[in-house]
Amino acid sequence: MTGAAWNGIQGSNADAKAKTGAKRRKRIFGLLYYIFMIAISCVFFYPMIWLVLSSFRQNKEIFMDPFGLPAKIDFGNWKEAWEIGNMSTYALNSVIVTSITLACILLFASMGAFAFSKLRFRGSSMLLMLFTLGLFMPLQSFFIAQSYLFDQLNLKDSYVSLILPYIGLGLPLAVFLLKAFLDSVPKELMEAARMDGCNDAILYGRIILPLLMPSMATVGIFSALNTWNELLLAMLYIQDDSLKTIPVGLLAFSSRHMTDYKMLFSALSIVTIPMIAIYIVFNRYVVAGLTEGALK
Amino acid sequence: MSRKSNPSAYLFVAPSVLLFAFTILLPIVLTFVFSFYDWNGIGSMTFAGLDNYTRAFEDRIYLQSYGHIFGYIGATIVLEVLVGLVLAGLVTSGHKGSALFRLAFFTPVMLPMIVVSFLWKFVYNSDFGMLNSMLRSIGLGNWAHVWLGDPKTALIAICFVSGWVYAGFYMTIFYSGITRISKEVFESAYLDGANEFQIFTRIKVPMIRALVDTGILLCVLTGFQSFDLFYVMTNGGPYNSTEIVPTYLVKVVFSHMSVGYGSALAVLLTIVISILGVLGRLLQRKDSALEY
Repeated sequence: MTGAAWNGIQGSNADAKAKTGAKRRKRIFGLLYYIFMIAISCVFFYPMIWLVLSSFRQNKEIFMDPFGLPAKIDFGNWKEAWEIGNMSTYALNSVIVTSITLACILLFASMGAFAFSKLRFRGSSMLLMLFTLGLFMPLQSFFIAQSYLFDQLNLKDSYVSLILPYIGLGLPLAVFLLKAFLDSVPKELMEAARMDGCNDAILYGRIILPLLMPSMATVGIFSALNTWNELLLAMLYIQDDSLKTIPVGLLAFSSRHMTDYKMLFSALSIVTIPMIAIYIVFNRYVVAGLTEGALK
Repeated sequence: MSRKSNPSAYLFVAPSVLLFAFTILLPIVLTFVFSFYDWNGIGSMTFAGLDNYTRAFEDRIYLQSYGHIFGYIGATIVLEVLVGLVLAGLVTSGHKGSALFRLAFFTPVMLPMIVVSFLWKFVYNSDFGMLNSMLRSIGLGNWAHVWLGDPKTALIAICFVSGWVYAGFYMTIFYSGITRISKEVFESAYLDGANEFQIFTRIKVPMIRALVDTGILLCVLTGFQSFDLFYVMTNGGPYNSTEIVPTYLVKVVFSHMSVGYGSALAVLLTIVISILGVLGRLLQRKDSALEY
């Protein structure tokens, strides 16, 4: 838009020759721009395409000619990987762990954010400080003792041993983001509701929760992806193959089929495709969720 | 503070506070306690005073792992923040199709880190990997290399993967910052005869300076927490050339069963991160609210 305006102004007081020269230069720059951008896009995209294409091929073909195209799109490899790799078990475990974790984070964090933002109570600033600590602390500062604790409580090799720490990891950020949003909601709204005889529980359920929905979507996407992809704790706390989540499952799969490349490529593709689909469909929300979540 | 405390508030904060205290705070405190003992996690605990800490300062692998992390962080600041900044400048230069490029650059962020790690292990594979095959096909066969098996190139290879994943992520953050700059600023710059490059260095970058600072801080703090990529691609090898604190901690605690010593290493890491985090917050300018 600005470029066009500029051209117009330039055109009116420059002679025709200079005008065509500038135009040609602009066209060349435009062409270079697109060549460059497409090249970069290939760097970002091609490895993923290579992964999926290779998953349709045979080991020998991959080995002989890494860049060759598959003879035909045959999902046989995928089916085989899904079946021999226990993928349905891993996927189910990931769904169970992620959905329970997510539900707990959203419920508890919204309750906490409501109290921290709208209710007065003794110790609120102290408790909030503790959550600030949680924003900073890396996994490494607590997983050793947590592992010992879970050993003592016989929690290892259960969904609970993953769900509990994942909730703990997700809560601080969720509380802060939701509280920041509630802080911007005018007090009058609460007071009006109180006048009408709402107690805190009704206030939370009828007014706060609906208001928080958009922010909870942001928090939810961030927490869900973090939980879905978590590897370290899942690796340390789960030995039972029937309880493994997708990341640890893939790790186990890769050690069982170390050199069966087509199987590994297939397993990786199966895990990747749904993520890309979610990204393309919910693009705006996913991008907002990931960037906002990381910036706080 | 004149109004009285609201008792029902405690019911609202109780679940989150209790869960957080049990899963995170208690283990942090316990780790601190463990760090003063000589202990394998099962047998008896012997009080060891500061022995674990003095041992840490003589542990060459541990100290080197900090060097690797700082190298990794430095590289990722260039490969993620700087590249992201340039990409953000390019997609906001007024050419058509920027939405498509943004979509493409952000896609790797969506891949689970474990998939990224395996994928790039194959790209770097010395026999049939994409990189070596590509070099051979354009006649640079003697550049082909055992990328992850050579201590000289392994860490750089990992840094590059991290850049591949996150450059698009930082681009997205910077992009949303640049699109918030008022159009009139650009218009008057064009009228003054500024070219795209000048607009990028004199207007776009300075105006989103706060976001760039946040990005660098994020790089530093998350750099200390990387695990998946290193664990799957090299697990610290070859010859500890890519050992970072998290991978080393897992070895010390879960392979060598030195729970006490591992705890001391974890406490030291926590202290380093806290100092860097506080320093970063102090240096950072306020203002990084994003709009979409």
